[in-house]
Amino acid sequence: MTITIEVALYGRLAQLGGGKHIATINIELPRNSRMKDLFEQLKVNPTETSYIFINAVLSDVPGLNASQEEELHDGDHVGIFSLGYMWPYQYRHGMPMTKSLEKAMNEFGAIHHTYKKKA
Amino acid sequence: MARKILRINMTELKATYEEMPEKWARWGGRGMTSAITFDEVDPTCHPLGPNNKLVIAPGWVSGSPAAPSSGRTSFGGKSPLTGTIKEANSGGLSSQKLAKMGIGAIILEGTPKNGDWHMIYINKDGVDFLPANDLMGKGMHEVDKILWERFPNKPAVIGIGQAGEMKLSNAGISVNDPENNPGRYAGRGGMGAVLGARGVKAIVVDDKGVNAIEIVDEELFKAGRRKLTDSIQAHDLTKRDGALNSYGTDVLMNIINEAGGLPTRNFSAGQFEGAAKISGEMIAEMVEKRGGGMTGHACHPGCIIQCSNIYPDEDGSIIASPIEYETAFALGANCGIDDLDYVAKMTYECNDIGLDTIESGNTVAIAMEGGLLEFGDKVGALKLFDEVRQGTPMGRIFGQGVEATAKAFGVHRVPTVKGQSMPAYEPRAIKGIGFTYATSTMGADHTSGYTIAPEIAGVGGKVDQLTDKGKADLSLTFQAATAFIDSTGYCLFIAFPILDIPEGWAGMAETVAGVTGMKITGEDVIPLGKEILKMERLFNERAGFNEQDDRLPEFMRYEVLPPHNVVWDTSDEELDKVYAWVHDGSN
Repeated sequence: MTITIEVALYGRLAQLGGGKHIATINIELPRNSRMKDLFEQLKVNPTETSYIFINAVLSDVPGLNASQEEELHDGDHVGIFSLGYMWPYQYRHGMPMTKSLEKAMNEFGAIHHTYKKKA
Repeated sequence: MARKILRINMTELKATYEEMPEKWARWGGRGMTSAITFDEVDPTCHPLGPNNKLVIAPGWVSGSPAAPSSGRTSFGGKSPLTGTIKEANSGGLSSQKLAKMGIGAIILEGTPKNGDWHMIYINKDGVDFLPANDLMGKGMHEVDKILWERFPNKPAVIGIGQAGEMKLSNAGISVNDPENNPGRYAGRGGMGAVLGARGVKAIVVDDKGVNAIEIVDEELFKAGRRKLTDSIQAHDLTKRDGALNSYGTDVLMNIINEAGGLPTRNFSAGQFEGAAKISGEMIAEMVEKRGGGMTGHACHPGCIIQCSNIYPDEDGSIIASPIEYETAFALGANCGIDDLDYVAKMTYECNDIGLDTIESGNTVAIAMEGGLLEFGDKVGALKLFDEVRQGTPMGRIFGQGVEATAKAFGVHRVPTVKGQSMPAYEPRAIKGIGFTYATSTMGADHTSGYTIAPEIAGVGGKVDQLTDKGKADLSLTFQAATAFIDSTGYCLFIAFPILDIPEGWAGMAETVAGVTGMKITGEDVIPLGKEILKMERLFNERAGFNEQDDRLPEFMRYEVLPPHNVVWDTSDEELDKVYAWVHDGSN
């Protein structure tokens, strides 16, 4: 049993999908896959990503790697941005985000433009 | 030597250099324009009448040697679009040249006798009032070309296109960039109409032979400059080859679209299926493919962030510069248009006629909702701009912006606050920006509330970071930090590193202290910013505004926005907390 995920890749990572700056591809994964399985299939290193969305819900920000255990479902759209992308805090303050990202940001300190995961 | 005030009276055709009065001596940029407007403009005046003024001010550090990204000019007065106080600022050549001439502010006042139009030429020898007959009716591309031929020292040209000549409420003020392209705009709020009401088509600032920049404490300035430069070069958002440098501000298009917060088809949805085609990545691809234009362009000399672009046609020739995220949203997604070439052509029109691109795009969207055009009709949208250029009745309506056009077409879904239409972030999805839109003294404005890390602002630990509690306090702190930065002459984008990195923050304050001699540190930033906000807030109150004007449009309270299916549900009480301190003595 498999699921199909639509993946949009932005920036350098687009090359993994055959694009230069943007690529959109469909990926088949086993049922009950998680983000880390998608990354493995795409050969994406988590340290090379910044903002990640699952169906318009913010799931990761650069430096926190909070999305790896997120479950994926058939028909999901995942947007993955390469390292280097910018999204200033005031332009995402109050956006829907996953519980795991909210937890990670509360642990670190949410109100920043960039993040570094605590050791 | 302290900077001077240059008072230019267009009724008497007289220009006088005045000593800087003590009450204004500590201000620059937005602080200066707001202080002068507060003191000299009657808040109840008609914005197009004889009692409004246009104040033009460089920032504290503009023109200082190697101060990175410090070329912003502030333009202030009472806004014809909003009726509030307004500060609009731009990049381009004017800020550094004004500062080098020792000018702290130009106060342009009075109205011309007999409806005469003038061009004002300022150089080290004085101020000349020259007839503008040969410039009238011309767009800014041609005006800039003529004036650089006439005045060959590559001066700054501050000017208005046909929109400002007609005193339309969406008229912006153009400043030329280093390539003499008129693409840098003090766009928002119709300040081009205020310049037009003074009978001035263009102001030429020629700084050849003069450099009046004085640094009071060289060592402090240099130390601060080093910290600031290091933080700009280190921070992910502003460093060389970061996304801002590579893709420009339009790097946000795909991010905000993925997030479901991109206003689409007159703020009826938060995602646009054509977003990728009008994104910063697409601009980069077009530049690479077509062999002309560029990304990583500097809008003023000395900028080290270089986020602007020049967009090429198929044959490599230039269509327009720049295409910013706000422009691509307003003329693209919000109109259902996914063709970057047409976004560029409409950008050219805005730069030429002298219109704010945000208000223009949103106005096209209103006209589409009102049935004049179909959403997505890029050809029809482009033609609308010629109506403005020609001054047809339709063009004059369109040039008034969103609210007037909405009335003309019977549209109730009007995305404005205090008369100014919203920029590229949907407040129903991105709730924090809704606070800024609602409460800013400038109307719906995305640049008023730049975030500052709590530990730098001194509010760390007091605020629940991701819940609603304390949002009002945060909004005020963000707005105050931004008001201060708007006074420095620095590009607001230096806020990204300095609002994250304490050393960058301290360095920025040190550069201001070093140049001006004022005894300020990073801890003075928020209090000084609040002083500016208080002047602006009191001006607005005297102009007739109250907390009922700090609200988002009604339709956003009940109409759900896909894909998140959310409404704006922040209480009025929460919004009113942001500025309660102005009168209740708190905070």
